[in-house]
Amino acid sequence: MNKKILIAFVLLALPAFGGSDSQWVLEQSSLTYHVSHPLHESEGVSHAARGKGVCHAGECDFLIAVAVKSFDSGDSNRDLHMIQVTRGAEFPIVTVRTHLPESAAASATVNADLEIQFAGQTAQYKQIPFKLETQGGKTHITGTIPATLSDFKIDPPSLLTIRVKNEMPVRVDMTWHPQ
Amino acid sequence: MLRKIFRNRHNGVRGLVFFVCLVVAIEPSLVAQTAGMGALTGRVTDASSNAVPNATVTVTTVESVENGQTRSTTTGTDGTYRFDGLPPGNYRLKIEAAGFKTLEIPSATVSGTGTAVVDEKLEAGEPISAKPAAASPDNLPNAPSSIATSSSATAPSLSDLGISPEQTQGNPREQALLDKRTHMLKIHQRLGLITTIPLIATLATSINAGGKNTSTTSRDLHTALGAVTGDLYFMTAYYAIRAPRVPGTESRGPIRFHKAMAWIHGPGMILTPILGIMAFDEKNKGEKVHGIASAHGPVAIVTAGAFGAALLSVSVKF
Repeated sequence: MNKKILIAFVLLALPAFGGSDSQWVLEQSSLTYHVSHPLHESEGVSHAARGKGVCHAGECDFLIAVAVKSFDSGDSNRDLHMIQVTRGAEFPIVTVRTHLPESAAASATVNADLEIQFAGQTAQYKQIPFKLETQGGKTHITGTIPATLSDFKIDPPSLLTIRVKNEMPVRVDMTWHPQ
Repeated sequence: MLRKIFRNRHNGVRGLVFFVCLVVAIEPSLVAQTAGMGALTGRVTDASSNAVPNATVTVTTVESVENGQTRSTTTGTDGTYRFDGLPPGNYRLKIEAAGFKTLEIPSATVSGTGTAVVDEKLEAGEPISAKPAAASPDNLPNAPSSIATSSSATAPSLSDLGISPEQTQGNPREQALLDKRTHMLKIHQRLGLITTIPLIATLATSINAGGKNTSTTSRDLHTALGAVTGDLYFMTAYYAIRAPRVPGTESRGPIRFHKAMAWIHGPGMILTPILGIMAFDEKNKGEKVHGIASAHGPVAIVTAGAFGAALLSVSVKF
């Protein structure tokens, strides 16, 4: 009888252990947007992103958030212009959400579906490839999000009446560690 | 060749078997992606996860919206669709079906080695553009709870990241200030560009205006062009000076040089016409330009040089 109770307990406990919650925390990050103009190429970098991943039953939900104002291109005039065109004062936070299987952490690459909220718009990017490198319990993720200005209904900024290109790829370089 | 095979074997059945084997052997290579090409597949369903047949799925290369390569297909009875032989890259997806809102995916990445899978749910309703979604209180970053609910009950929220609701609140007043600033600086930029035309013309006509054998007409033309340059310059300056400042912003980068140059060409634009009028009077009296008026030329050159440098400093950066 005792054996039966023990077996039943073990069988009931197994799924609970298998589906135990775990969390990931964004340790450091570099998000770099790139804008092209016939006269000039420019980039803005932010190291101020915050992120968290919550895993449950082998599935993880990630949220990364960064302030629009935290992007620095080295030119205050350009940064203010970018905040204006991206409506950064009205919508101060950019969020990126993704859902991945927990096993993805062990892969060398992962294709992620991203939902990005930026400039008051939501855009979805499918199957965006990212490289993963795990070392010392930390996972380093790199990749490029092929964003465009029109995805977020952003009026392209102009210099000398010439507009920048629509493409605004965002390079992602993040280090995550489990909590 | 096949005819020869059949003729040689004199056995229709064996020939047919051989032909079928040949087709089976070749078929995968016909269907499979060409080397270096990718594929995109997926399933279109409704909100209840039921297949949506006959939905039109269109893929367009993202790299060139104007000249984008477009391909279309329709979903089968099981709601699936597939595009083979796609060059690696980013594609826009558009899914249209009667009785559903049109769904647009800005970017789906197709690699040259694998098959990208894009499964989508369509919302019932009129066929209008659904994604990227228009701003509404529910899809703004300061309303994360609705998004979290839609994806998963365990999904982290902005408060989990230590971001307070105050930090996510928009500031329409600051946005209006930025809008006004950009609007005025755009006019500043355009007027500055326009000003360079009479400025160059004024410099060009100075050759005939200041020499020994100069005519009144040359001087008048030079003076008129100088006056137009001055007027446009001060209009240009007005839009830069009156553009609202954004509190807490420190000038960094090329804009500092641009502003520093204004301390040279600004006073220069005031001094140059004053000296020019003096030189003009002396010339009209038949005198040789002398005294302080003789500084008109050098001051004008320094002023124009500073103006050009200011223009270039923002031309290589924006």
